[in-house]
Amino acid sequence: MSDSVPNEVSVNINGAEVRAKAGEMLIAAADRAGVHIPRFCYHERMSSVGMCRMCLVDVDTGRGPMLQPSCMVPVAEGMSVDTQSEDTKRAQEGILEFLLVNHPLDCPVCDKGGECPLQDQTMAYGPGESRFVEEKRHYEKPIPISDLVHLDRERCILCDRCTRFADEIAGDPLIHFTERGNSTQVLTFPDEPFSSYFSGNTVQICPVGALTAAPYRFKARPWDLDQVESTCTTCSMGCRTAVQSSRNELVRYLGVDIESVNHGWLCDKGRFNFEATNSEERLTVPLIRDPNDERQLLGSDWGSALANAAEAILDAGSDGIGIIGGSRLTNEDAYAWSKLARSIIRTDNLDAQLGDGLPAELVHSLPPATIADACEADTVLVVGPDLKEELAILHLRLRGAATKGHTKVVEINAAPSGCEPYVERAIRCGSGEAAKYLGEILNSDDDLATRLREGSVVAVVGRSSMAESDHSSIAVAALIRDELPHATFLTALRRGNVRGALDMGLAPGVLPGRTAIDNPSSALDDIWGYTPSMKGLDTTGMLQAAAEGKIRTLVLLGADPLSDFPDRNLAAEAIQRAETVISLDNFLTASSAQADIILPTTAYGEQGGTTTNLEGRISRLTQKITPPGSVRDDWMIATELAWRLGGDLNLTSKEQIWREIEQVAPSHAGVTVERIMSEEAREGILVQESSVEYIFPSVQEPPIADGYGLRLISGRKLWDASTTTSMSPSLRPLAEAPVLKVHPTDLQRLGILSGSDVRVISTRSTENLKAVADESLERGTALLPFNQPGFGANRFIDATAAVNDIRIETL
Amino acid sequence: MGYLDGFKVTFKKLFEERVTTEYPKEKRPKPPRFHGRHVLNRYEDGMEKCIGCELCAGVCPAKCIYVRGADNPETEPVSPGERYGYVYEINYLRCIHCDLCVEACPTEAITESKLFEFSFANRSDAIYTKDELVVDDDGQPKRQPWELWHDGDDLATSGWMRATAPSGNPDYQNRVGWSGELGYGVRAPETGQQEKFPELSDLDFLTEDQAEEQH
Ligand code: SF4
Ligand code: SF4
Ligand code: SF4
Ligand code: SF4
Ligand code: FES
Repeated sequence: MSDSVPNEVSVNINGAEVRAKAGEMLIAAADRAGVHIPRFCYHERMSSVGMCRMCLVDVDTGRGPMLQPSCMVPVAEGMSVDTQSEDTKRAQEGILEFLLVNHPLDCPVCDKGGECPLQDQTMAYGPGESRFVEEKRHYEKPIPISDLVHLDRERCILCDRCTRFADEIAGDPLIHFTERGNSTQVLTFPDEPFSSYFSGNTVQICPVGALTAAPYRFKARPWDLDQVESTCTTCSMGCRTAVQSSRNELVRYLGVDIESVNHGWLCDKGRFNFEATNSEERLTVPLIRDPNDERQLLGSDWGSALANAAEAILDAGSDGIGIIGGSRLTNEDAYAWSKLARSIIRTDNLDAQLGDGLPAELVHSLPPATIADACEADTVLVVGPDLKEELAILHLRLRGAATKGHTKVVEINAAPSGCEPYVERAIRCGSGEAAKYLGEILNSDDDLATRLREGSVVAVVGRSSMAESDHSSIAVAALIRDELPHATFLTALRRGNVRGALDMGLAPGVLPGRTAIDNPSSALDDIWGYTPSMKGLDTTGMLQAAAEGKIRTLVLLGADPLSDFPDRNLAAEAIQRAETVISLDNFLTASSAQADIILPTTAYGEQGGTTTNLEGRISRLTQKITPPGSVRDDWMIATELAWRLGGDLNLTSKEQIWREIEQVAPSHAGVTVERIMSEEAREGILVQESSVEYIFPSVQEPPIADGYGLRLISGRKLWDASTTTSMSPSLRPLAEAPVLKVHPTDLQRLGILSGSDVRVISTRSTENLKAVADESLERGTALLPFNQPGFGANRFIDATAAVNDIRIETL
Repeated sequence: MGYLDGFKVTFKKLFEERVTTEYPKEKRPKPPRFHGRHVLNRYEDGMEKCIGCELCAGVCPAKCIYVRGADNPETEPVSPGERYGYVYEINYLRCIHCDLCVEACPTEAITESKLFEFSFANRSDAIYTKDELVVDDDGQPKRQPWELWHDGDDLATSGWMRATAPSGNPDYQNRVGWSGELGYGVRAPETGQQEKFPELSDLDFLTEDQAEEQH
């Protein structure tokens, strides 16, 4: 009966012929055929273990029907399956009665109650009455196994999903089964919490309420939740999420499984930072600086705040204005600001990146790869930030490809990274010297060189350290372009919608639709009427100009240069010197607290629109709750300002803005509103065209460190002092205080004990910090996280230097 | 005679016993399952029965209940177990007294009293919060200034009975399976239960008749 499609078999499920992939598990084939087999332990993204036996079905392979677990039995030609037989039903009743023997059934107080597979399947397949009258097993009610996750062992049905996830997917095998028989239980190692960046996923996949999330604990019940699908914008991966609220308050995000991006997983930062949107600290009304008292901010109304802002913009003139930030914005908001800046204010001084990314032209001109490409490539070359800290789900995907597939990950980095456990090779280079090392490898007779030259390569390129200039990443990209022309690129830019902001032209020299400023599309020319012809300043340039008094009005689009720009001194000077600083933000950040006019904007979950991930994949954001106070979307503020500046942006709604983008942005042509609203957009609509060219500058090698100095390396941590983390009460404590890590020999040489306070001296600043010894570092380097609570490494960094050295001294 | 036919009924009724009463001067005893305003009950040790599970809010057809649960404070728990109802509100402008909330409650925390004589001059009085709903230290409902009731009116407030057993099995009908309640002890079973289950009769409860007598 097989019409011999290779690798396909045909099985009979409940009398219907089903075609299935050879080797596929029966339960998966049944799922596709629309036959539901109850299950607890089986999960389509993890290997089958056959722990729970709920999926027993009658399978006949010619020797008569036999009960077999459908999650462990691969389909075979001619198999005949009955999921409804008497035996199957008896087995299901038996399994459920057994599972409930020790189950506390505290559904009314259980966070899973109402959406619990154990409840649901007991109702659907269970026996109705239990014969068990004895005392049940008791454990201490929920024990926190990490700061974010509680474990109630009484409710656990030992399905092995959480432990499998931790081991197989996250690579943090910190929870395990312990004990035997009736006392088998899930536990952490003594004194070692389940501190995984991905712990929230175990809560989502636990089929009972054994694992619950502290931020959601007792917040709501499933029947008062309301849900929309959206996209996470915490980092630039763009994971698909379900955003759930109860009574106009965000209470939970769940990962949604899409093939191209997140496979259903989320990192804990993206999963739990809904607390920031709900924060009491949100700005709800415009603020302006008190004319009589410099230190005071006064609550104001939109009319006067916008009038003041427009006046400051007019005063400064088009050369005297700089617009920094925009990667928090949706694509539509970014477009509105790009249009306002160029066609009405007539400036090209705008940049969504804060001196911590790559030149926009470079990002646009590199041959693009997708995440899926990376997971299928022979080699993934990572020369950039610690992906586990900055793009956690990309790390998860690459880890999956490296551990389950044939992909080999090779990393070149100046400091150890979270990817090391699964990389084929971790090449340690000096800060700023990645290109040199890569060049040496490519010119050697190493196997790796052959594989890079002959096999498929996806390069993940980004800024490895904030303490080195972007020249080092540019040099790496240039080298790969030259030597490995077949390689494609993922640019490891970190912030939420940074790619979308660049696509919308929030960068000097590029216009919406990935075109250069001297090459506007005719539609853009028509609609905008005016575009500046000269390339403007990037963030570093704008801050320098502001510090010199050449830029008089700075607009911060959700940007906090004091915390995020690599050079705090320069940022502080610029903000100080600028006559007017206008900040559009959700919170009073370090920088917005110093602004003169503060315009409160909508936060995540309060705005619709679209966002673009690091691949250039456009997906939809959905508004879930109504925003607090009188906050406004960023695009509305742009249109209002346009009016007050005597122009008109002609933008009326996010949808209409997208229609205009589709018209004027050549790379986005054909991505219609209808497509964005369609089912297709769940996976995201990939946009890869670009007409921007980048001329690689000649890059000099960084200077050799002198014998006294330590070369500073500074990357970001997942748990840092970023706004959404510090405004989420559950996440704030996870960010550790900053410590300076130095090789023990270097400490010894200076006579410093590990763990003691030292004086750290750089060209920019002298500060006291705790130093600890870390053998995994190279000698002569010092590692300091970029932005931890209370201290940012950007105090030490000179943004104009290729690399930065520090000296340390005993106090 | 034709047109006088209609008066026949009137004349007949003139000499029969009167069924109307001079309300509010005179009040009739209320039926045992009368649905009045709610109370949130407490256990005999004073702990609140409500565990903040929101089942009542979920089932309410008028969507007039608002519940929020929270972790029980470790040192001074409000209810037994992990969770307690930290916000509980019923909006009496919307409640239709269907008693579905009472049916849904897994701990018999919410029941309806026989009190129905209340009116409000503003909306916020109509929203009963925990302050108004939770019974007093002696287990009696707290009387609000805008409620008209006299001593004794509140007796046997939890006049509610389950129509069926928790599992829906009629064999268990009328069996009292609940713990004691502050103020009333174990609730009275429904009429007929004593005959069916003589072993229950030594329990200290009020029968319906006794309850009505006291009224
Ligand atoms: S895990 Fe499910 S069945 Fe168990 S107590 Fe919670 S809701 Fe009830
Ligand atoms: S805690 Fe949940 S996911 Fe983990 S084994 Fe128990 S039931 Fe399964
Ligand atoms: S009696 Fe009915 S309408 Fe009133 S609160 Fe209860 S469920 Fe809602
Ligand atoms: S009254 Fe009952 S049903 Fe309502 S929240 Fe409290 S315990 Fe749950
Ligand atoms: S789902 Fe097959 S054994 Fe658990």
